[in-house]
Amino acid sequence: MSDDATLAIEVQNVTRRYMGGKFTAVDDISLDVPEAQVCAFVGPSGCGKTTMLRMLAGLEEPTEGSIVTYGRPVLGPGPDRGMVFQAYTSFPWLTALQNVEYGMKILGVPKAEREAKARKWLEEVHLSQAANSYPSELSGGMKQRVAIARTLAQNPTVLLLDEPFGALDAQVRWEMQEMMIEIFEVERKTTVLVTHDVQEAIYLADRIVFYTRTPGKVKQDILMDFKNGQRFRQKEELLAQPGYIDMERQLFAWMREEIQGT
Amino acid sequence: MAQATNPIRPEGAPSNTAGQGAGPRYDGRPAKQYLRLLTPVTSRQAAYYGVAGAFLFFLIWEAGHYLTPEGSQRFLPSPQIVVGTMVRLTVEKNYLADVGISLARVLISFFAACAIAVPLGVFMGCFANMRAFINPVFSGARYLPAASFIPLLLVWFGPTDTQKLALLFLGVIFFLVALILDNTEAVEKSLVEAALTMGASRSQIVMGVVVRAASPAIVDSMRNMIAVSWTYLVIEEIVAAQDGIGAVMMRAGRFLKVDIIMAGILTIGILGVLTDIAFRLLSYYLFPWNRKRPG
Repeated sequence: MSDDATLAIEVQNVTRRYMGGKFTAVDDISLDVPEAQVCAFVGPSGCGKTTMLRMLAGLEEPTEGSIVTYGRPVLGPGPDRGMVFQAYTSFPWLTALQNVEYGMKILGVPKAEREAKARKWLEEVHLSQAANSYPSELSGGMKQRVAIARTLAQNPTVLLLDEPFGALDAQVRWEMQEMMIEIFEVERKTTVLVTHDVQEAIYLADRIVFYTRTPGKVKQDILMDFKNGQRFRQKEELLAQPGYIDMERQLFAWMREEIQGT
Repeated sequence: MAQATNPIRPEGAPSNTAGQGAGPRYDGRPAKQYLRLLTPVTSRQAAYYGVAGAFLFFLIWEAGHYLTPEGSQRFLPSPQIVVGTMVRLTVEKNYLADVGISLARVLISFFAACAIAVPLGVFMGCFANMRAFINPVFSGARYLPAASFIPLLLVWFGPTDTQKLALLFLGVIFFLVALILDNTEAVEKSLVEAALTMGASRSQIVMGVVVRAASPAIVDSMRNMIAVSWTYLVIEEIVAAQDGIGAVMMRAGRFLKVDIIMAGILTIGILGVLTDIAFRLLSYYLFPWNRKRPG
């Protein structure tokens, strides 16, 4: 990354406390994310990584500190920051196609245009055949494809992914990860991914921010330099990279430190 | 081979066949079991069971009639006599007018209650401060017995239709509000958050997300509460009415005409079942996305 790259996200001294200040979830975090970077927040359960992401989305307010995306302070949720949730959030009363249209409808995109775009996005997430199905007829992986298409169809400047594949079985998660690589290559969106899956973070991210457990602070902030800026369409190519196994071992060591409270 | 009838093991799964030494032997011919855990019935089977159950009910009724000593049989008329009485009342006594009046009382008061309870329940379900403001009074009011309002309403309105509608209204409104509040609060928070991150406005979320998501449950609550409306109707018409099914039954009671009383009970039962079916059909056609799918 060059130093003069546009900063997509600027987090300054953000702290989030609950219960009238008795519990600190996020403690004085500062970090910048340059444009088009895929940044993963990794850490043990309860480390505040999801809280941090929700503050980026504007779903929660920092107790102290400020968050700015593309020069604009975050004061609440907005379509400039698209979010994909771990829970299935496709609206059950809309078909897959109508779900993808929903966000564009909110933005006032005319019917014909949004339908065409929605079809394109369903194709992008390999779901064209299910365009007219309701979410109750779709598998978990397919529901997440709808959620991803719906979010990207709004063309957000920042993509926030909150453990989007956490509820999926291993094979589907793997398929989804490879699909995300395709999407990152085409869209080049600034992305923040929250995950506790170390392999997923290494595979998808350009950079990993590792959180300490309660209160959540940044333990380590490392670039995935061993990938030399490449993204691998197939996961096994990544596994074959020199340096991969060291990275994974390092992350697991940090995870153990945090879990065992060393 | 017939369908697997083992409680858990599906057809074709490996079974503990003979020749495996100690332990209970499983000879591949499972015993017929009618009480099987975790075993759904098909809609056809459910229909058979339902018809059989109804048939048994009428059979016991019929038997009760014939087992009663001859002189007392008119106090337990047989099903045929009761149905015959319904027909006779309809032809000779303009019974359908009374049925229509009762039905109108239930429907008008019930939908008036819904017209208030649905918006109020949704409003409280969406905004916690409004819930804190309104709900204590409404939820406390559920413990006031609606029948105890009859004297008050009689003083206020006299034995008029207004009085009757008011009682039926009071009988269901507080419970409806409580149920619809629950239905609204049961909507997944993540749906609302997803809509917020897409930039939906507050009104777009309340009307377009929360109400849409809660509507099947709301219609279900209405279906359950209209049964309560029928209960209050009878109380009301027995106490203070000149017309309606309850009034017909009360008059019959004075002359010990048990067949008419039972015809009234049966009529209300039938109307109750019909309103229930109407709500189920409404739900089926309004919410195609919510239909239970096989498998």
